Order: sequence, then C-alpha cells, then structure tokens
Amino acid sequence: MLKAFISKEWIKTRWYLLAAFITITAFAAYSVHGIFRAVSIRGAGHIWEVMVTRDAVFIDIIQYVPLIAGVLLSIFQFTPEMQRKCLKLTLHLPVPAMRSTYVMIGFGMAALSVCFTAALLTISIPATAILPKELAARMVSTALPWFLAGYCGYTLATWIILEPSWKARTAWTFISVLILRIFFLAPAPAAYGKFLPWLALSVILSASLAWLSVTRFKAGRQD
Amino acid sequence: MKIFAKIFLIISIAVLAAWQIPWLIGYFDTKTDRTPFTLYSCVTGDFAILKHDGDDFTYTDRKGNIYTERQFDSILPLFYARQLFSEGRFPDTLDSKPIVFKEALEKSFFFTSRPSDINRSVPGIYFLLESESGRVDLEMPSDAFRINGRGIEFIDMETNSTDTAKSRIFTQAMSECGFVFPAKCVSGNPTPKKEYDEGYILADSEGSLFHLKMTKGKPYIRKIRLPDAVIAEHAFITEFGDRSMIALFTDSENRFYAVRMPGYKTMEIGMAGKGFDPCRESILVVGNMLDWTIRINSDDSVRYCAVSAESLTFLAGMEYPVRKSRLHGIRFTSQQDRFVKPRLY
Repeated sequence: MLKAFISKEWIKTRWYLLAAFITITAFAAYSVHGIFRAVSIRGAGHIWEVMVTRDAVFIDIIQYVPLIAGVLLSIFQFTPEMQRKCLKLTLHLPVPAMRSTYVMIGFGMAALSVCFTAALLTISIPATAILPKELAARMVSTALPWFLAGYCGYTLATWIILEPSWKARTAWTFISVLILRIFFLAPAPAAYGKFLPWLALSVILSASLAWLSVTRFKAGRQD
Repeated sequence: MKIFAKIFLIISIAVLAAWQIPWLIGYFDTKTDRTPFTLYSCVTGDFAILKHDGDDFTYTDRKGNIYTERQFDSILPLFYARQLFSEGRFPDTLDSKPIVFKEALEKSFFFTSRPSDINRSVPGIYFLLESESGRVDLEMPSDAFRINGRGIEFIDMETNSTDTAKSRIFTQAMSECGFVFPAKCVSGNPTPKKEYDEGYILADSEGSLFHLKMTKGKPYIRKIRLPDAVIAEHAFITEFGDRSMIALFTDSENRFYAVRMPGYKTMEIGMAGKGFDPCRESILVVGNMLDWTIRINSDDSVRYCAVSAESLTFLAGMEYPVRKSRLHGIRFTSQQDRFVKPRLY
C-alpha cells in the first residue's frame, strides 16, 4: 500500500518536481555563475574583500525560491485531492488516515530534500573551489533559513489546502505568513546561528498542523 | 496527534501575538526621547547642550545659561573650528595653550562602536596590507589571513591555497613575541582608502594585547604592555589622522583604555568608576587636542563624561535617563546584535 501511495504522489507531482528541480538548481547555478563571472572580471580578491567587508553572499537571488518551490509543491500535490474529492477516497482506504496523510507529506518533504540538496551542492561545491572554507560556509549558513522556509512553506500550505473551511483557511494563511516572515529577518549573513536547530524543529512540528485540517475534513466541517 | 497539533498551534499563535502586537503598537507610537547634543566645552569647563524641539534650537548648558548660535560656536571652538576659522574668530590660545588651526583639525577625531558591531557572525578572514610599500597610496593585498589554534595562515586569493612560507614566518614571529593562539579579538581597518596603515590590534587567547602589521613583506609584531591584572577583552584600532594613539580597548572589568604612541603606552580613561561594556553599550568619542567627550548609550541611560586629552583623567560627567518602553513581548531581532533569535523584552 505504501508503494501505491508513493506511486500516486509521484504521478501527481512528477512534472512539477522535474520543473522545480531544474528551476531551483538553475537559480543556484546562476548565483554561483555570477561569482565566477565577477572573479574573471575583477579577480578573486575583489570577491573575498566584498564578502568580508560588505557582508555580501552573492546568492540573494535564491532567497525566496525554496519557499515558492515548497508552496507550489503543496498546491500541485494537495489541490487535486481537494478539487476532485480524492482525499475523501484516500481517507476511506483500509489504511489509517494518519498514516496515509503523513506518507503523502513525507513524500513531499523527501522530494523537496532532493531539490534543496541539489541546490545547496550546486552552491557549495564550486564556492569551495574559489573561496576559503569560512566564506563558503557563510554562504551556506546564510541560505539554510531560506531552505527551511521552503519546508515550512510546504507544511503550512498543506495545512491550509487540506482545511475544509474558507474562514479557517483565511486565518491559517494569516498565521502562516507571519510564521514564514521569521525565516527572512536576517540583518546580516549567518545570522540564525544557534536558532537554526530550533527553527528546524519547529518546521518538523508544523507538519502536525495538517492533521488538524484532516480531522476537520473528516468531521465534515464547512463554512 | 490532534491534541499535540492544537497545542503547537496555540503556542505558535501566542508567540506571533507577543511578537506582532507590541511591534504594531510601537510602530504607531511616534513619541521619541531625544537626548540633546552634548559636548564638553573647554571654554566654560562644563557641558554645552544643544536642545532641539522640531525647528527650535536652544543653546544652553547645565547651569541654564542661554547662548546664541555664534556664542555656542565660540564655547566649542575646536568642534566648530572650521566655522570660526571661516569667520576669522578662531582663537590663538585655549586653556593658556597656543592653538594652530591645522593642528586642531589634525588632532580632532570621532570614534564609534555599537554592540551590533561586536555581537555578530564574523567570517574570520582578514586582509593585512603592506604598511611600508614606499608608495603613498595603500593597496589591498593579494592574500588574506585567518588565525586559528595552530597559528596565522595566509591564503593566496587567486589560487585559494595556503602560503605556507609566509604563514610559517608570521606564526613564528608572533609565537616568539609571546602570542598565544588563537586570537580572542582581531581589530583592523583593511581598506586602502586611509592615510596610513597600522595593521591589526590583536588580543590573544590569554588576553594579552599585540600590534601586528606587515612592513616590507615582513612581520612587525609588538606586545603591548598592560597594567598588572588587566586582561584585554575588546580592542579597536584607531588610525586617526593624528598618530599619537593606536588603539582603544576594554578589559575584562569593562575598564576603558587608550594605547598611546610612540611606545605603546597604555593609559586608563578616567570615567569615574563607570566602565564601558562594548557588548551591551554603544559609544561615541568626540576628541580634540584638549579634551574628549565620551557618550555611552546603555539600556537605561545616556552617560556623558569628559576627559583630558593629555592625561585622560576625568573632567566632568553627566547622565540623561532613558525612558524605558512599557511594551513587553517577544522580538527576533535586536539593535544589540545581528542575530535572529527569540528574546523576551
């Protein structure tokens, strides 16, 4: 049954995932290309100097891409469930509803992990070739909250989409926007430091919210 | 799971409310406490105060004397030196000492430090300029350095590889001078847009203070003799136009010192027992050839103290209380640092 679930999710999202993978990797490659281009024009010293003295990380262009990728994945994965009433059918399968819900969410998280890992590797591997480990690590640690926002955007969008009532959806959207704002408050590179593990834990816990929507859906809540 | 999700949702809403509601109230509260511009006057021997309320300016002092703008310029002759000079009113003597306009300008300086300059993530990569290239203009180097537990490592920026020979020479020179790796504090101003280069002021892992620069490609390292039981904590290279001072630093007791040149003479700045904590307080020093006015902004006050420029002994002090916000909540960013983390206030 697990394989069937994964297969169903794969069929629903494969083209989107392919597009997301290409887009996010392309954004990562483009930002790194910008660094190499600047190195060829101004020399590596200029890049090092700008990164150290002006707090530049050169990958700002990717900032909101993981978030958009996460939210869109949730839309592609769960909107058909709600539009075609497939969720009702899914929840009536001889599998615990919680298990089927979290297999779907787990699939999404794993798919995002593939995309995000590819993007982070696209950034970090070339960066370490021209930058010292401190500056390469600074780029990655600056980007980590953005990728966490991608996961959080996915879980929160899933919570909203699975919610059966529009009034509640509006309220959840407001709360979600405020939660996601926390990932983009950095006043400087590598600003999240010790808060990052707690933020990651919050993202994992945020996956529980989808179950609230599913139970409300099962209870037949409507506006 | 449903109960857990509900608890998580309630906690999230509570945190968001504690974050956003005080922020919104603060955003619409336009009342601000403005501390008047205050500077020690060598003419009156007291603080001169410029209060402004909208477009209205009041030039006064602690005794309540009211001055005109021209009079105010005159009682702060070294701060308004250019204005007085342009009007032909720049004095010949001050405090019974002959004053030369050019010298007055050269010996004037500003120094600032904010907690957010210190409480931040630093890359740990620094640039050491050539201090005696023989050319007038300074140039950025082709390498950078890091200091770790093993020593100082120079990295060629074009090849991103360690220059082992240069690293060994500098590490050896620093070790022979008594530097204990790694560095606790590294302060420099690596830019070619300055008059001269003094390299870096370093505090080693034991709190000893050192001066490091590169002269003709070779290491120049000097240990700065500190008073007994003084452990350097935060150091600031100065590189002011007047080369009579190389650094300011605080120790583990938050006492504030200046390092005078030549001879790296350490002098404690007389602040009447009230120290300066660079991690929590911001500082502005407005110095001239006769006195320094030091302003320290902390959470609950703005303290001013004036010290003699020569002996750095205490001349006068005053304090403005700061109205504490009655709002309480959670915030994720702070003016005290450049980190994102939840904190109650």
